[in-house]
Amino acid sequence: MSGQDPVAIFRIEARDLLEQVELDLLTLAERQDDRETIDAVFRSLHTLKGSGAMFGFDALAAFTHHCETAFDRVRKGEVAASPALISAVLAARDHMRALAEGEPTEPGVEEALLDDLRRAVDGAGAAPVSTPPSAKTWRVRFSLPPETFVNGGRPLPLLDELRDLGPCEVTAVTDGVPAVEDLNPTDCRLAWDVVVTTEQPRSAIEDVFIFVIDDMTLDITEVVDEPAAQAVAEVVPDAKVAAIEPPKAANSDAPPAEGRPRVAEMLRVPAERLDELMDRVGELVIAQSRLKQVAASSSDQNLMTVSEQIEQLASELREIMMVVRMVPVGQLFGRFRRLIHDLAIETGKTINFATDGETTELDKTIIERLADPLVHLIRNAADHGLETPEQRKASGKPETGHILLAARQSGAEVVITITDDGRGVDRARVRAKAEENGLIQPGQVLTDNELLQLIFAPGFSTATAVTNLSGRGVGMDVVKKTIEGLRGAIEITSTPGQGSVVSLRIPLTLAIIDGLLVRVGASRYVIPLSSVEECVELPVEQDLRSAGRSLVTLRDQLVPFIRLRQMFNTGQEPDPHQKIVVVSTGQERVGLVVDQILGDHQTVIKPLSPFHAAVGAFSGATILGDGGVALILDIGCLVAAGQRPDAQLRAAG
Amino acid sequence: MSASILTVDDSASLRQAIKIALTGEGYAVSEAPDGQAGVSAADAGDFQLIITDLNMPVMDGLTMIRTLRGKPKHAGVPIIFLTTESDADIKAQAKAAGATGWLTKPFNPDQLITVVKKVLAK
Amino acid sequence: MIADNANDPIEALTFDLHGETFALEAGLVREVLDLLPETAVPGAPPFVGAVINFRGRVIPLVDLRVAFELDAPPPTIDSRIVVIEHPLDGEPTLIGLRADKVHEVTAIDRAVTEDAPRVGLKWRADFIRFLARRNGDVIVIPDLEQIFAARGQTAVVTPLHPSQS
Repeated sequence: MSGQDPVAIFRIEARDLLEQVELDLLTLAERQDDRETIDAVFRSLHTLKGSGAMFGFDALAAFTHHCETAFDRVRKGEVAASPALISAVLAARDHMRALAEGEPTEPGVEEALLDDLRRAVDGAGAAPVSTPPSAKTWRVRFSLPPETFVNGGRPLPLLDELRDLGPCEVTAVTDGVPAVEDLNPTDCRLAWDVVVTTEQPRSAIEDVFIFVIDDMTLDITEVVDEPAAQAVAEVVPDAKVAAIEPPKAANSDAPPAEGRPRVAEMLRVPAERLDELMDRVGELVIAQSRLKQVAASSSDQNLMTVSEQIEQLASELREIMMVVRMVPVGQLFGRFRRLIHDLAIETGKTINFATDGETTELDKTIIERLADPLVHLIRNAADHGLETPEQRKASGKPETGHILLAARQSGAEVVITITDDGRGVDRARVRAKAEENGLIQPGQVLTDNELLQLIFAPGFSTATAVTNLSGRGVGMDVVKKTIEGLRGAIEITSTPGQGSVVSLRIPLTLAIIDGLLVRVGASRYVIPLSSVEECVELPVEQDLRSAGRSLVTLRDQLVPFIRLRQMFNTGQEPDPHQKIVVVSTGQERVGLVVDQILGDHQTVIKPLSPFHAAVGAFSGATILGDGGVALILDIGCLVAAGQRPDAQLRAAG
Repeated sequence: MSASILTVDDSASLRQAIKIALTGEGYAVSEAPDGQAGVSAADAGDFQLIITDLNMPVMDGLTMIRTLRGKPKHAGVPIIFLTTESDADIKAQAKAAGATGWLTKPFNPDQLITVVKKVLAK
Repeated sequence: MIADNANDPIEALTFDLHGETFALEAGLVREVLDLLPETAVPGAPPFVGAVINFRGRVIPLVDLRVAFELDAPPPTIDSRIVVIEHPLDGEPTLIGLRADKVHEVTAIDRAVTEDAPRVGLKWRADFIRFLARRNGDVIVIPDLEQIFAARGQTAVVTPLHPSQS
């Protein structure tokens, strides 16, 4: 932690602060007078400005200053947190984010944003800025002790503070500057003569100097029309503060106590370090499985004991690692409140957005990769799913449409659902579109589920008029691909007139899974254990009979099966007692015929190169204890293959 | 040498900057992310100087300064607060609360070190 | 990538593929390995039909002989795997290349290079960056970018570049 660059920390901090600002602003949009939230927004902006200026983010600091000022006025009750003001600051927040991230910004954007902000502040003014007639003009003369600079003092902030009070004219008084040969450049020899006009009382001017007063000379006089009026030099007599006694331990040379209290209990760690750690844990698991193999083939009891201990430790370490990488989905869900806010404005629909299960946790990498698909699905729900208030009224529904984003854990998976109470999927239009695009034959008989699944086919889009909301070039096929890339699955159910539910089933982690190691021919493969339902023997009579139709009866249900030996073209004779591993993705089941089941395997997932991405049947690879490579079967792909009418033919061919 | 300093700020980047600057000078630096944590840390530790932000969640800097000054243990510890130029009015309050001095953000490490040395020398 | 400065000699690793000599810019090469156990990827084209475990990573094993329509004799004691790092679909990727024999790293003088793929007329012209001549031998410097983009397919209908596909 100690080696970390504060600038890098600031970037992360800025991101968090801006995310918080957004959430708080959206809360304020619903509860205008929430004092705590107003304070929180001000505080975040204030920190952003202060720390930004510290670390060279000058543009960010300068821009944020305006928003901070606006919120300072909200805080003081001078201005209301009107919807216009919230929207203006939200837009400004996006710009701040760009500045913090160092993204290029369009010229003129800043002025436009500030204009909006000004208009919003002026429009929201509960109490107009009092320009009291009582503005007075003061002449302020001051000088600082010569050692000011050496002691870290800075006259400029003092002058800036005076300027904040009102129109100001500053003159440097150089009378005290000695001749060049006598000049010590580190001495402060200047004095200042400032004429400031302000409605603030005299004490406000004195406050500017409150902490330097002890060593300086200060002279404040009111400038009346007759400039002759000269007041006596007035120094605020307060020297107490500087006279604090040195604390007793200050001068002791005692080394810092070892046991300093650990105050900050939360530790921020860059995500890459966690990834590195995860990689090492992965290597450890692989090395451990090698050790296990060595131990198994030896008769050394000690070796076997140690191997077991290490297996236990590696397994625990892996579990801990997974937990460390987990973050609540709430931080992802929070982002969509903004999206809904914008969508409501763009579509003119009234949308109530609710979230549930925000504390459900998922691997951080997965959460990041879920953001885009969810944006798309929520856009879809708002844009295509929900009706306009008029349409809703006409069909006897409340004018406000509802979108619910919910998460819950279910075994080794997290299920995320996007539910809307809109019009539901228009089956006739889906069919028409699919026929038009040649995805299905005209009049082809489809189950309702098959029809709905067409939505995820590449190039499919039901939007007759492409709006700027969902017409961004990504279709549901991309969403589906992304989810499957996470080894997840997507399903949709829909009731006409009542709405739709899209469910995403996502594995808890990407990096290591529990797998079932099997052998097909001479090669070994891993089947993700989470999708394994059961393993059964392939009955010999079924085996002989099933040349044409590869279906097996399991507890009175017909389950299609795929002979991996044929599919993978091993060119070898099958083992006499083949096994069927029954796998499923949610609703669909398929049996995979393998030669041998080798056992459980902690599987560290290694990605396959783009060369093999198109092969389809494999989602990755893993390294076994003997250094060999086993491919991981892509269950979604195999189940789909097993369900297709032509799959049996292909499997048999 | 090696006095112990507590820095209280909700901005992790600022705490880190202060820590780097001051540990480089041989001081031991502890951190707290808000006023409440600052009070606990000060109670538990033995600090010769406290550097604090004013605008913080949970407990703000002013309240923290008042709280610390209300305890005999901390009556004499110098407290420097960090502020921005727009906080003119708050300085008076901070002084009334018992602050020793302030440092205007942005500051560079040398300015910080100078102020710290000056305060510790008193 | 090879600098297009015509006078700079190129440091290159030369290797044999069924009697032909090929060369790759030495900077691309990460390591030369003895043969390792291979894992076949069912359904993958012969050009990239297997993967290997390279220091804990699973990397594809490419057979350039497929792209150049050369026979693939069974492995011998001289067979090696040349591990290179090369962009694949925009990502730097470790890739193993089969070689029948690996020679030394040598300087190939661009001055004696010639573009006319006289020897390589039977091959896809865009699979060859250029040819060099050394001691009467012709050395083929393959255009890996094109070969990888085409996934080693020699058919001319294959798109030349992924961006056009």
